Formats: sequence, C-alpha cells, structure tokens
Amino acid sequence: MTDVRGLAARLDEARRDGRPIGMLSASEPRLDVSAAYDVQRAGIELRRRSGERFAGVKMGFTSRAKMVQMGVDDVIWGQLTDRMLIESTAEVSGLIHPRVEPEIVFLVGRDVTRAADVDTAVAGVAVGYEILDSRYDGFKFTLADVIADNASASGFGVGAWRDPRDVAGLANVGMILEIDGRVVQTGSSAAILGDPMRALRAAARLATDAGIVLRAGDIVLAGAATAAVPLPKDAHVRVTGAGLGSVEVTTR
Amino acid sequence: MTETATTAVEQAADRILAAYASGTPCDPVRDLVATPDDAYAVQERLTTAWLVGGRRLVGRKIGLTSPAVQRQLGVDTPDFGMLFADMAVPDGAEIPAGAVMQARAEAEVALVLEHDLTHERHTVADVIRATAFALPAIEVVGSRIRDWDITLADTVADNASCGMYALGSRPVRLTDVDLRMCGMVLERRGEQLSTGTGAACLGHPLNAALWLADTLVRVGRPLRAGDTVLTGALGPMAAVAPGDVLEARIDGLGDVRVAFQKESAKEDAS
Repeated sequence: MTDVRGLAARLDEARRDGRPIGMLSASEPRLDVSAAYDVQRAGIELRRRSGERFAGVKMGFTSRAKMVQMGVDDVIWGQLTDRMLIESTAEVSGLIHPRVEPEIVFLVGRDVTRAADVDTAVAGVAVGYEILDSRYDGFKFTLADVIADNASASGFGVGAWRDPRDVAGLANVGMILEIDGRVVQTGSSAAILGDPMRALRAAARLATDAGIVLRAGDIVLAGAATAAVPLPKDAHVRVTGAGLGSVEVTTR
Repeated sequence: MTETATTAVEQAADRILAAYASGTPCDPVRDLVATPDDAYAVQERLTTAWLVGGRRLVGRKIGLTSPAVQRQLGVDTPDFGMLFADMAVPDGAEIPAGAVMQARAEAEVALVLEHDLTHERHTVADVIRATAFALPAIEVVGSRIRDWDITLADTVADNASCGMYALGSRPVRLTDVDLRMCGMVLERRGEQLSTGTGAACLGHPLNAALWLADTLVRVGRPLRAGDTVLTGALGPMAAVAPGDVLEARIDGLGDVRVAFQKESAKEDAS
C-alpha cells in the first residue's frame, strides 16, 4: 500500500520549508494517477487542518503542447485554498522556483451539482495569473508526481470580474504577460483546450467525479494561455486579456 | 574584390533560381554570401529577374518578427521579402502540390496601403494614415534551402523564405481592431497548430510595418499605394502536409483558410 499520508506530509513540508524534494515516483513505483490524487487530497486535508479553506480548482495540462510534452491526453486538476489567493503583493522569496503564467478565471455563481450545468453557473470571468512552484527538484516530475503535488499550485490572482453576458467570447482572447513593463509571453486563450469553456466543463466533471461540489463563490483557474516563465523577486507582473482588462502583482 | 563579391552574389542567386526551376532544394548560400547586405543583393537579383520575367510586385512580407525566431537565428532585426501577384490565393483556395517547397504556415495580419510611404523616416501615424485596411492572412512560407538549414543570410537571399499567401476577404479598418491584443489560432481539422497574439509581432504589427517602410526607402523600393504587407507571424510556425486544410482566426479581424493539394497529378503520371 502506498503511504498516502506520509507522501502528502513530505510534499507539505517541502512547501512550508521552501526546499525541494526528489520525485515521489522514484521511491514509490506504485504511485499511479489514482493514488496520486489520494496524496493530493491528503495534502489539502493537511492545509485544511491548519485553517485553510477550499476556494476552487485549477486545471493543468490544458495546452496541447503541454499534453504532448507530458505524454497525456487528459487534463489534470488541483485544489485551491483561500490562502493561495494573492491581492497585490506576492511573497515569492520563500518559494522554491516560482513561475507565473497568464490564465482565464471563472467565478462560480451557484452550486454545480451536475457537471452539465456549469456553463450557466458562471457568474464572472476575469484574467488572472497563477504562480506555480513545483515541490520537486528542478521542476521535474512524472504525471503522478505533479498530481500528488497539487498540480504545482502555489498562488493565484484575479482581475476584475466581468459579467459573462458582456464578454463577446473567450475562445480567442489575446493575452500578454509583462514583467517590469516588458512583454515576456504572448498568446491566445485558444491555447486552453481550444476554448477555456472546455476547461471549465472538465473542471466540473473532475470535481463532480471526485465528490466535490463547486459552490457559489468558488473559483476555477481554467489554464494557461502561454508557457510559464520564472517569477523573480521585486518584480512587477501584469497579465492583460483583450476585452477583459488586466491584473497586476508585485513580488517580494 | 568587387568583382569577386559580385560573382558570389550571382552564384548564390543562380543556386536559388536553379532550386526553383528544378523543384529540388539546394545547399545553403552562406558559403557565398555572409553579410545581410550581400544577402539582400542576392534577393534583389532574384527580384529583378522575376520582374523582367513579367511577375507583378504587389507587396512585401516581413519575417523574423518574433523574439524566439530572432534568438534562433542570432539576429536582432526582422527581414523582408517580395510578394508577387502569383503568390496570392483567395480565401479557401488550394495551393498546388509542389508550388511551395518545404511548406510551413503561419497566421498574420496583412495591411493594404492606400498611400505611398516614401519618407526617409516614417512615424506610426504615417503608417496608420497610409493603411486602407487590414486582412487576416495565412502565409505559406517555404525554403529553397535544403531542410530549412538557414542562417539570416540564407533566408534573406531566398526572398525571406517566401512561398504563397492566402488573404481573407473582409477588410477591417484599423479603428475597428486591436492589432496588439488580437488573439490568433491556427487550426487543421479543429486540431490546434499554433496560437498567439498581435503583440508577438515586434510588439505590434504596425511596428513591423514601420520598420519595413523605413528600410524599403533606404534600399530604393519604397512601399506604394496598393501594396500588401504581411506583417509577420502572430505565433509559432506550423508544419503542413499535402491534403491539409488550415484555418486561421484572428480576433476582431476574421478568418481565412488555405488548402494544400493532395498530390501532384504530374508526379502520379510519371
């Protein structure tokens, strides 16, 4: 049997100490995707016990390039807690090797008891960013490793919510990631499964399958429009999405 | 010295023209031309030969507009090549097999001009005033150099790896589209090949056009009213194969398709 709680504790300690560990799969050859999600859930439980609250889900491997790179054909997901939400300043000095990527973010407006209802449950859409920080040495992992590590989730920020009825469409939103005023990544929301709405539906499906109900106020990070870039200290980061405005964060 | 240099330029041009004539890619030409100036001299020889042969010059393409591609070739400026009328196909048309050697595709913003740009130095305002409208475009780039084994000199000499291009058919005025923030997706049968945005092209497609306008005045072939400018890729280039049908969608600018003939009837017969 896989020592689910022991593995979750190792990852949690790496996160709290800001010190990377070797891949779990190296010593746990039986760590499959299903066991990895068990480790992820146990890790979230540890955070819950220290007072953090469930805030939503994040989708990973939503780009074709990333799926090909990882040799997978489905998305992965991780859980967000309220303490991951960043307002205007991100503390990155305690992180291992933080990266940032531009995202499309959904706000759930009412409880999603059936995955099929998620389209009409959206109360807001926004541009956002996700800060990733793999707890593994060199940001290297297998599929099971990254799932166990809560899909490398570390922090996230969200711009002003827009009423989805006022947004012309999310399938091809031009997105720009700037660091200190310089454009470092450009892309389109089309990179997110062809349309971020698909990522939202996948989030609802995976959450429902796992027995999680997305509730009013929960957040779904749909995925990245570009590759992630290293996130330095003392930097000003801005993500802009065409027609969606922008979101900014300063790191220290 | 001058005589040798001229000969090398001629040899390089002949090598590329022979590749066009035979349909078989050639060796790189960097053994003959090393500097950008010499490489453009080769391109100019090709242009002259083609104009003499009756081709109609209808615009320019800008290449090497993304930081990633510039890094790959170790350069910090874009380059340009000549667009002739016979390179253009309408939305959805099929490109005959073998018409573009080692074809690849990228989605771009095309600008169509209504005024000449003949100043020594232009401003973005000049470029905006000179632009009648924008169109979505798919540029089918190709290389006459074997296996795309190119340096800056090779691609410049080879007409900036120009092949053919498909233009969309609904003109959009610059006031009606955000060319910096427009999302781009290039697909084949719903499969995503490339995504990007306007800012990927030198920060803004108009920045690329501005560079081109100034550069062309310096080399003596300024942009003229009626010219089409392919401003540069909005995302990574995609490989294409015979039989493919590609569609590019640029947010706010519309969409455009291009097809690739399955196989050459002539090759089948032989």
